[in-house]
Parts: sequence; structure tokens; C-alpha cells
Amino acid sequence: MVFNSLTFMVFFACVLAMHSLPFSWTTKKINLIVASYLFYSAWNPPFVILLWVSTVVDWYAAQGLVKARRQAARHAWMVLSVVANLGMLGYFKYGQFLLDNFTAVMSALGVAYHPAHYDIVLPVGISFYTFATMSYTLDVYLRRALPAQNLLDYALFVTFFPHLVAGPIMRPTELVPQFETPRAASPQQLRFGLALMTIGLFNKVVLADSFLSHVAESVYDGDKIPGTLDAWAGTLAFSGQIFCDFAGYSTTAIGAALCLGFAMSDNFRFPYAAVGFSDFWRRWHITLSSWLRDYLYIPLGGNRHGARRTYAALMTTMLLGGLWHGANWTFVAWGGLHGLYLAAERALRARFANYRPGPLMFVVLGLLTYALVNVTWVFFRAKTFGKAWVVLRGMLGQSGAVKPILDTFSLLCVLVIVGGMVATHWLMRGRTLESVIARAPAVLVSIVWGLLAFAIVIAQGAGSAFIYFQF
Amino acid sequence: MPDRYARQTAADRPGIAQPVPVRPVPEQPWGRILLGAALLFALLLGGWEAYWRAYGVTPGIANDSGLWAIQRRRIDAGEGSATVIVGSSRAFYDIQLPVWERLDGRRPIQLAFEGTSPLTFVEDLADDPRFTGRLIIGIDPQVFFQGFGLHKDAIAYARRQSPSQRMGQWLSMHVLEPRLAFDDPDFALETVLARQAWPPRPGKPSLTQVRKLSQSEADRNTHLWSKLADDAQYRELARSIWRQRFSPAADPPPGELRKTIAAQIERMARAVARLRARGVPVLFLRSPSDGEYLAYEMRLFPRAATWDALLAASGAPGLHFQDYPQLQGYYLPEWSHIAPAEAERYTAALYGVIQHDFWGPRADSASAPR
Repeated sequence: MVFNSLTFMVFFACVLAMHSLPFSWTTKKINLIVASYLFYSAWNPPFVILLWVSTVVDWYAAQGLVKARRQAARHAWMVLSVVANLGMLGYFKYGQFLLDNFTAVMSALGVAYHPAHYDIVLPVGISFYTFATMSYTLDVYLRRALPAQNLLDYALFVTFFPHLVAGPIMRPTELVPQFETPRAASPQQLRFGLALMTIGLFNKVVLADSFLSHVAESVYDGDKIPGTLDAWAGTLAFSGQIFCDFAGYSTTAIGAALCLGFAMSDNFRFPYAAVGFSDFWRRWHITLSSWLRDYLYIPLGGNRHGARRTYAALMTTMLLGGLWHGANWTFVAWGGLHGLYLAAERALRARFANYRPGPLMFVVLGLLTYALVNVTWVFFRAKTFGKAWVVLRGMLGQSGAVKPILDTFSLLCVLVIVGGMVATHWLMRGRTLESVIARAPAVLVSIVWGLLAFAIVIAQGAGSAFIYFQF
Repeated sequence: MPDRYARQTAADRPGIAQPVPVRPVPEQPWGRILLGAALLFALLLGGWEAYWRAYGVTPGIANDSGLWAIQRRRIDAGEGSATVIVGSSRAFYDIQLPVWERLDGRRPIQLAFEGTSPLTFVEDLADDPRFTGRLIIGIDPQVFFQGFGLHKDAIAYARRQSPSQRMGQWLSMHVLEPRLAFDDPDFALETVLARQAWPPRPGKPSLTQVRKLSQSEADRNTHLWSKLADDAQYRELARSIWRQRFSPAADPPPGELRKTIAAQIERMARAVARLRARGVPVLFLRSPSDGEYLAYEMRLFPRAATWDALLAASGAPGLHFQDYPQLQGYYLPEWSHIAPAEAERYTAALYGVIQHDFWGPRADSASAPR
């Protein structure tokens, strides 16, 4: 079920009520795991089996790793875990993609090959929970962590509903210890958790779904050629939509966990105020970028084996990171562009090691970063390269004389919301939400909270799915 | 001044096992803040509800794909022998199910959808051997012959509706919608803001979107919203919205339109042939329209080239309101749909014509048609 639904409100109220009853800690954990399976099966009940497979394989792989005496055996257990998880991901997420590409290659070679259509439904959140379970085995393999003490704690780590389908991608070392001893939310945690959920849902329901999604759709999903203003407005709208959608999900998830007494990791840190692309990736989808760094970039050699190897590792990581987002070459292009940006930044930093930008240049570099990030969003949002080129040509003023697509209201939405969002990111660049709330008058916090909740209800969201569910 | 809530993230800790996250709660009187927020929320929501009620809105059931799916599943669940109505807004708003039930003994299943050609729904029923009843296909010329598909995704939605969506539908229908007048897509925040008088963008034609026209019940029995009949200003607004389509300048290119009309008729004829082959009686229905709307339809969709061609191609019978005096003379406030006060009388008359001229009385009917 999605957070922005009536079903979730009822579900969450029941979970909170059950969690506050005087059951033993083990019973409470069983309640949470049952609730999490219900949460997941509310999409498609049979896919719960995949969760079980992912849980059991990594549980036994980690046990095997600990008991193995020879390095080869340890290696084999790790490979089993990786193959099982990536195999599942590959079958459900990339099966059709691989088949299509194989067919295209065969066709290019003059071989007529017409396989049956796969027609496989993508299990929601599979990319997230396979990465979470893989990190468990890999941490044990890399001797960074010990395996969980019991299966219940581990299974709850995998399935805990706030992070299950769209992150933050939790590491076992972040969550399993929290399940080992009884925890209950304090009244302050419960109230602040509810406030975070309101902020998250406001981002998703009001800003992303109500005001920005239709602008991006008009430009990217129609057959009209956008001019410069429309192309930029549509792309900026998508930059706002995807941030509000995904950061909104993460904030709601963090709030939901806090209401139950659990702490989850930060996933966003005002990314549109980033100066440079390494800064961007320290602020955008932090739990994915750090996962890719720890389990892909560093094992590939990281920056330990010279410049050439570093750039190769960087590009490989970002290309695969792009592919993680979806089975389409446009996502690979998106990752590749980010890889190029990171490589270029690395080269420039080495060349101008002593350069320190002044305040004005700092802002200019930040806005340049945001503009270049928007160029990557074109490939992320466009369904085909053809459409991406059409929008890019529009952004570069190369569309010629074309009719306007967006009306005045849509342009105003982009100007006010995306402009406000970028300005807010800059204001909050070095701060935390908590510090700003702590300094604000209580009356103001109360008014803002009431207004956000009111806006969520009157926006009448249709319970649309979060963009990242499809990844 | 240092930020006492500052904390590291995984981005700051490369290559190590990540520790349990820190999640500080800002120091504030959260109990009073929550109480104040709840009070403000309740006040604002109460004011918003009062505003829309003062505007003439009453609570109703949202007519969306979820509601449609419930009715579609009745055929899967053993009611395949029922009379089913597909079509666009006229068959949807004008036919009153309680009246039909009183005369026929069985309540029809209402599967019509406004702004949507019935073609895909007829094809769906043609593919479903569980449907063995009778089928009324409403033909609103502009919608059917141009293949409009405002709610064309309803079938796919009904097939893939998740357990969570079904529960949400139930909760919304039973808890919120019967009590809240503002809970209607026409009064959603973005819709309300978008329809304000923003200055037009040069080169971008400013078209006013269709406003709320109907009121639905749980089984999709629907009628024209009474405000259309009671409020002259709102009625004029609705007419002016239709009028945007009536100018010849808004017509599709003639060649393109001819192709679309031919394609719609051809597909419909094939679907109807499949239905009739397994004994399903099919009846096309052209519901009343009036005033400028009727004049527009007669200009762009002349009867001989559209309605008559459809009947000829499909071989199925058709009921055109202009052929029956008892189906004429109703009040259509915005020229396209019958006023709610007259829809019951129209339904009774329509039922009578259908039974007399097309289907004959049902063996299990509660009373004979008049």
C-alpha cells in the first residue's frame, strides 16, 4: 500500500495501537513483521514469497560465511547470496530488457529471432530490498559486521514496512541492533514523527502530484515539440516532482519509523543546493549512493589504484547505478552523464587544487550544478532517446517556431514551487530541519503543521504511486 | 552558532558498517503544537466544507475507475445475465436505475463513463463469455465517432486493482464520500486554482475545462447535478464551455474525421457481431440533445453518415430519440443532459419504447411497460 492512501492511514493506526499494547518485545516484533508482510502483500500477495526467498537466502548465506573456515567457502557463500539476489532482480526487472536487446543484436546480425513476450510484473520495491539484504551478507563477508543473533530480528530488518519498498536503503547494522532491545516511541518522538509524515505527504500529494506532475507530463508525454520555455519548465517541474516525490517518501518513512520508536537514516540533504556533483551525490539518495560506493566503487578499486582505474570505477558505478533505476538505456545514459560529470569534476579539482570560489562564484557554481543535473533529468524522464533529444533541443533553443504547450498557471506553478524549493535548499544548505524547527516559535510550527495537513486533504490526491516504486 | 542537531550520514562514513542512525527530536512543546495544529486543521477543513456546501454541493460518491470496477466485477461474480448499459455521459446521467428496476424487476449494471467512447467497453464485454445479458450502447456522436477516451483506462484498472486499492475504495465510499461535500475532483486544490482567471499565454488558446456536471450514487446511478437546472449563472457557464467546441474552427480536419468515424464504426460492428453471435441482444441508443449542441452534432455528425452508417454496418437495432415523440421535449439545461427532475420520466418512457419496439417484456419483469 502507498503512504498517501486511506488504507495506509487505517493500517498505520492499527500498527501504532498494537505496538503500544503491553505485549512482550518478541510479540511486538512478530506483530511488526506480520504488519510488514500485510503492507507488502496489499500490492500483490504472491510476491511476499520473493521477500521470504531474499530473507532466507541471505540469512543462511551469512550463517555459512561465519562457519566457513576456508576463504574459498566464504567466497562461495557470498557469491551464492549475490547470484540469488541479482538473479531475482535480473529475472523480474531486466528479463524483458535483456531479451529485447538480444533480439536487436540478432536482428542487426541478420538473424530473425522473435521470442515470446515476457509479460512479467515487476514486484514493487524489489531493487530496494535486494540491496538491503545483499548488504547484510556483504558486510559479514567483508568482516565489517557480525550476523544477526536471531532470524526474527533479521527478517524484520528486511521487511520493516517503512523502508521496505522505496528506502531509505537501510544497512543491517543500522536497524538490527534497534530490534534487539525493547523500544517504544516517547510522546515527543511520536508527535515529531507525525509532523515528519505530514511534511513528507505534503511534498508528495500537494507539490509533486497536484502541481508539478501534470506540467512534466504535458511536455514529456505529449507529441508536441516544446520550445525553450516549455522544455525548461517541463524539466524543472520534473526536477521538483521527483525530489518532492522521493524525498517526500523518505521523510514519511522516517516519520513512520520514529512513531514506532525506531531511527532511520537520512536520505536527502537539500540536494539542489549542491555545489559540484560529488556534493550532489552526498545529498541526493544518500543511502543508494553510499551503498554503491561501499559495495561497488570501493571493491572495484575506488581511488586506490591510480587515475585511470579510478575513472573506470567511477563510470562503472554510475552506469550500473543508472541501470538500477530502470531497465532502459535512457537510465544508463542518465547514470553515464552523472559519471562524466563526476569524472570531469575530479579532473578539475586536481587541476585547480588551490582554487577556492568566492561567495558569488560559489552560488554560480551551485546554479550551474543544478542546471547540469536538470540535463540529466531529461534522460531520466523521457521514455525514449528520441523524446529526450526533442526536449534537449528545446532547452537549447533549437526547436524553431513552435506553439506554446504550457499555460500561464502551469508556468506559475513551476516558478513558485521549483523556485521556492531551490531557494529553500540554499537557505537550508548547512542546516538541519530539526535545528530550524527548534528555533521557530511553537505557534508558527503549529500553524505550518495545520496548514500542511489541510493542504494534503483538500488536494485530494488520487493515491498515485511513488515514482521510485517502479525501481 | 553550531547546529546541535547536525549529524553525519552514510555519505560521511565510507567503507564501514553504518552505525544506528541518530534521529533527534527538536526541543519544542510538541503536545501543544499538535493540539494547535489539529484545531487549525479542523477549523480550516470545516470552513472549506461549509464553503462548498454554500455553493450548492452535497456529498456524493466519486465516480472514478474504482467505482466502475465494482460494477464491472458484478458480471464476473454471477450477474452476467443482467442488462448492462455502456456509453458516454448521456446514457450515464439520463437513465435512472431505480426507475428501470421498478419497471423491469432487475437493476441494470451501469458501465457508461462520461467523455469516453463505449467502444473498448463493448469489446471487453464481447471478449467475456460470462456476459450473456442485454446490452444498451449509448452513442453520443461527438464522443463515440471521435473515439474520445477520458476514462479508457478503467478496464485495465479493474483488472489490476490491488487489495490495497480495493480497501481504499471501500473506506472512501463508506466513510468519507457520503459525509464530505468537498471530496470531489472538481473542488481539488489544484483544479480550483487552475480555473482562476490567469492571464492567457500569448499563442496558447485558453480553453475552459468542463466543470462538475453530475452526482453519483454507490452503484453508479447518476444524474445531472441539480445546480445546472437551478443556477442560471452556472448553467450559462456550462453552455459556454460546450460552445468552445461548436465553432467550425475547432473542427478536426474533415479527412481525418471521416477516417476516425469509419474506424470507430468498423471496430464497433466487429465487437457487436461477436456479442450477437452468442445471443446477446444489443441496442444502440441515441439520447436526446438540444439547442446549440444538437445543431453542432447535426452539422459535424450528420445522422446519415454516422448513426445510420453504424446501424447498417453492425446490423444491430438502434433507438434514436428523434424517432419517438415520447423521448422528446425534456428540459436539457446545458443542451446535452436531461434535468434531474425529468430523468425519471424519461427513463420510464425509454424503457417503454425499448420493451415495446425492441426487446419485448421480460419473463421475470415486475410490471409491463407503458
